[in-house]
Amino acid sequence: MSVEQAFLIAGILLGLACVSAVAVIVFARLTRTQVGARSALTLAPYRPALVAVASGEDEDGLAKASLSAVPAHIWVRLRPSVVAFLPKVRGVPAADLGAVMRAHGDVEEALRMLVSSSAVARARAAYLLGLVRDPDSVEQMLPLMGDPSADVRMVTARALGTIGNPTAAAGVLGGLRTQHGRIGLPAWVAAEALLAMGAEIGPALLAGLDSADPAVRNVCAVVAGHGTFYLAAPRLRVLLAADADSDVRASAAVALGQVGGADDAATLARHTDACEGAGLRRTCATALGEMGRTESLDTLSGLLVDEDRRLAELAADSLVRIGPEGIARLQEAVAPRNQGPAALAAGGALELAALRGQLAISGTGP
Amino acid sequence: MTEQTKTRILVADDDRDILDLVVFKLTQAGFDTVAVTDGVAALAAVEADPPRLAILDIMMPGLSGIDVLRKIRENPAISDLDVILLTARARDSDVDTGFATGASDYVIKPFSPRELMHRVNTVLARGDR
Repeated sequence: MSVEQAFLIAGILLGLACVSAVAVIVFARLTRTQVGARSALTLAPYRPALVAVASGEDEDGLAKASLSAVPAHIWVRLRPSVVAFLPKVRGVPAADLGAVMRAHGDVEEALRMLVSSSAVARARAAYLLGLVRDPDSVEQMLPLMGDPSADVRMVTARALGTIGNPTAAAGVLGGLRTQHGRIGLPAWVAAEALLAMGAEIGPALLAGLDSADPAVRNVCAVVAGHGTFYLAAPRLRVLLAADADSDVRASAAVALGQVGGADDAATLARHTDACEGAGLRRTCATALGEMGRTESLDTLSGLLVDEDRRLAELAADSLVRIGPEGIARLQEAVAPRNQGPAALAAGGALELAALRGQLAISGTGP
Repeated sequence: MTEQTKTRILVADDDRDILDLVVFKLTQAGFDTVAVTDGVAALAAVEADPPRLAILDIMMPGLSGIDVLRKIRENPAISDLDVILLTARARDSDVDTGFATGASDYVIKPFSPRELMHRVNTVLARGDR
């Protein structure tokens, strides 16, 4: 065989392979489309009932009853549509969709799968129970916060947050701990779950602020601030003053900015002193702006000349957030007779405030 | 026929479930509805025949709900149209952006269909004053 013939045969084989690949792709897509169309056709009679339940327009309960009575072979195809609706609605429609799932034994099955040997099955079960928002499932889900699989722990924490039962708060906080070499739950996942549980997590939160684990104290401080748990303020002051973990101190400062009272302006101001670390000083300067109290004017004005220029910028931003009195301090700092480092930080903050329209709102515009 | 049955509301969402659900709810309440699945179609529908209210998802293909809202507010012919943003974007900054762009209200998914209806009626009543 000559070289030319070999190339020709190779080219033909390559062409056939390409044509075959295209044919397989087209066939697969056609099959998928046909299966989808067939499935849609099968489910079409049930779609109005599903939409009626999901929209809360099923006052006589007939739509829910019809979905609950769907034969098993249809339910297998209908289930994904019901599951798809669950995370999109809340209130009565979500409860009714959950009741349909329960009528078909999906909740019982999920409860059984919580102890499956498969991590994927455990995670799926926890996810489904979260979607159904069944508070009775919480007790059986809590052991998964110590699951060997990080994914299962994370899915379970989110599901517990979706259910929103405050009795799960301590369990979610427990998942933050690093145990037996397993890294604990990501802080933000725990914080979001706790915030979704509402004000009744207060006792668990206060206990968490006293935890020996800095990850738990940190998350509790963050949640105390974002959830406006005013009762946590005394403990936050202690953490800011003396916690051994710098992240916890910073989170306590931020939280105090959100829930602190008039006295806490002085507390935060003390921690902007030069003897503190740069990170904490900056955090406290920002927290003073969040707090928005005029008691902080002198402290923040003083920081405009600080050697840490980032701190000076943050202090200037905080003065803007305080409102007209703070903006007046910045305008004083940029006056021609006061040129210097303070004028630089103040000028930058005023320019940004003007771009945001904050000067016009506060009535201090040019 | 009550006045409510004459009121036309545009609903724009690329999620078929949400679209069906909101349209069904509005129809049951006696509103006329126009349903579209992307931002470009939403803007075209609003410009062609302005409804009384538009319910816009933010994350849509083509134009986002925020983009559509911005273009509505820039067009003097339809700038006073009431718009409710219906979205999974729940951060404070997202809500701020929505209102700063001129949204009449902002509903976060997952939502209660009943609450959405209260918001719709409140926005319509506000506009009627």
